Amino acid sequence: MATTEQRDAIIEELKQGVIEFDEDQVKAAAQRVLADGMDAYDAIMNGLSAGMSRVGELFAANEYFVPEVLMCADALYAGLDILRPHVKPGTTAGIKGEVVIGTVEGDIHDIGKNLVKLMFEIAGFTVHDLGRDVPLEKFVEESIRTESDMVCLSAMMTTTMISMPKIIELLRKKNPNIKVMVGGAPVSDDLAKRWGADGYAADAANALSEAINMIDTLRDLKPIG
Amino acid sequence: MATNGKTSRDRVLDLFNGERQHPTPVFSGMGNVTVHGIYPQGWRFAEIHTDAEKMARAAASTSQLFGFECAVAPFDMGVEAGALGCEINYYTHSTQEILYPTVQRKLAATVDEFKVEIPMDLETSGRVPLVLDAIRQLKAEVGDTVAIGGWVLGPFTLAGQLIELDNLLKMSFKKTAVVSAILDQLSGFLVQLAKLYRAAGVDYITVREMGASSSVISPRLFKTLILPVLQSFFAALEPPRVLHICGTVVDILELMPEAGAEAISIDHKNDAADAVRRVGDKVLVFGNLDAYNVLVNGTPDLIRENVTAILDAGVDAIWPGCDIWPTVSQENMKVLMETVRTYR
Repeated sequence: MATTEQRDAIIEELKQGVIEFDEDQVKAAAQRVLADGMDAYDAIMNGLSAGMSRVGELFAANEYFVPEVLMCADALYAGLDILRPHVKPGTTAGIKGEVVIGTVEGDIHDIGKNLVKLMFEIAGFTVHDLGRDVPLEKFVEESIRTESDMVCLSAMMTTTMISMPKIIELLRKKNPNIKVMVGGAPVSDDLAKRWGADGYAADAANALSEAINMIDTLRDLKPIG
Repeated sequence: MATNGKTSRDRVLDLFNGERQHPTPVFSGMGNVTVHGIYPQGWRFAEIHTDAEKMARAAASTSQLFGFECAVAPFDMGVEAGALGCEINYYTHSTQEILYPTVQRKLAATVDEFKVEIPMDLETSGRVPLVLDAIRQLKAEVGDTVAIGGWVLGPFTLAGQLIELDNLLKMSFKKTAVVSAILDQLSGFLVQLAKLYRAAGVDYITVREMGASSSVISPRLFKTLILPVLQSFFAALEPPRVLHICGTVVDILELMPEAGAEAISIDHKNDAADAVRRVGDKVLVFGNLDAYNVLVNGTPDLIRENVTAILDAGVDAIWPGCDIWPTVSQENMKVLMETVRTYR
């Protein structure tokens, strides 16, 4: 069993490995988590996820750009792949939920969407990823089929975000309680509100924090049971 | 808009020659087709990308209806990728009113796998012959009085259409030399395409390098990877030339004129006055009307306020920061033109 100091050191290595997009360091630290009998979920949340939060801050401060963030995400995945099979059932902070996510029809950009998906996966959600260029009706069908709690819509271009209010309307008709989060470069907080979305993410950094906020919202809605 | 006996084409070409125009020209290097030029013909939006006559007539309509000072073709970003062998989705069966064509399948998942043959007979590849036909028709229809604009994607943005973007972006950082070689190859292709457009009747060429803004890559990467390619690209083209980069360019603004175009175009995420102050003595500055939130969704008052602020900033021409969204109201288009015309 690792001492508190050892645990803190390994957590820090995971975190820094993500921030410095050092996949090898993250993998080695993740193996030590397992070897030392540490809690895998603790390592994911306080090591990998905390690192990614810092990455979001660096992005917001224009120190990191999209390539750097993508490399950090790769490092995070390298750790997640090792740790996730060892998360004990029932230790995911009580969050359970299903999320449908996709880039709207006409848009083939999915980087932002993939980063948001990553955050949901870290938090233990089941993510139904519809990919990119997803027809409007598909979001509704999939949210009903999977009985999901939330639908996340992404658009990179002005020319495609226009379909978002239509999708939100269709979703609400079928399920008035569904949570909808929208994001992508052209979307604004004002537009999101006007369209009746519950959450909004302006860019990769905001997507990360907003995903966490939305998870918190759902946590309030769905107490640990 | 004819002023002092000059046609709107004269005004645009004179502007490119360094003569400031009054009223300030209102035009674009990107798509500006509206539904008001399409629907009365009984056409759907999806049809105007694959029929030369419809493309030409739709492209001419914004100048004819509103006095917008250019006619630009094509409208979508799939021409280049289509000519290089990508399958393009035109959304002809979508239930949505307006969707721009997109690349259905990319040529490669990674930069290492990427291999493309530049067609020897570019004039007959993909939709290139169709676009050339449309430009010729456009030139014949309005080309005496209205400036004809053509545009191509920038090499980096095109690379993102052909290779999975996730990989391209990471490899731009990790394997810069590999990506640089790809960009050189694509740049050669784009020069050929732009020259064909020019030969068909286009008066000015805009390069849309939206993948290179600081909303995506670092200023350092722009300087080391993108700028050299843009420099060789513009050096191979006759003027007038415009470099358009949407998204944040505040940290690469001084580098943009170094690319070699006569003008740069920026969008509403940037401060036009700041741009004019910093680079206005080196290059023409076009911008930076928010093409959706202001022009489409805005009230007439908001449009007046925004356009006046941009004119106050001292831009050389009012350009929307992106394609005009086709459902813009006729009233809003008229308010845009009227505000510029009456500005003192």
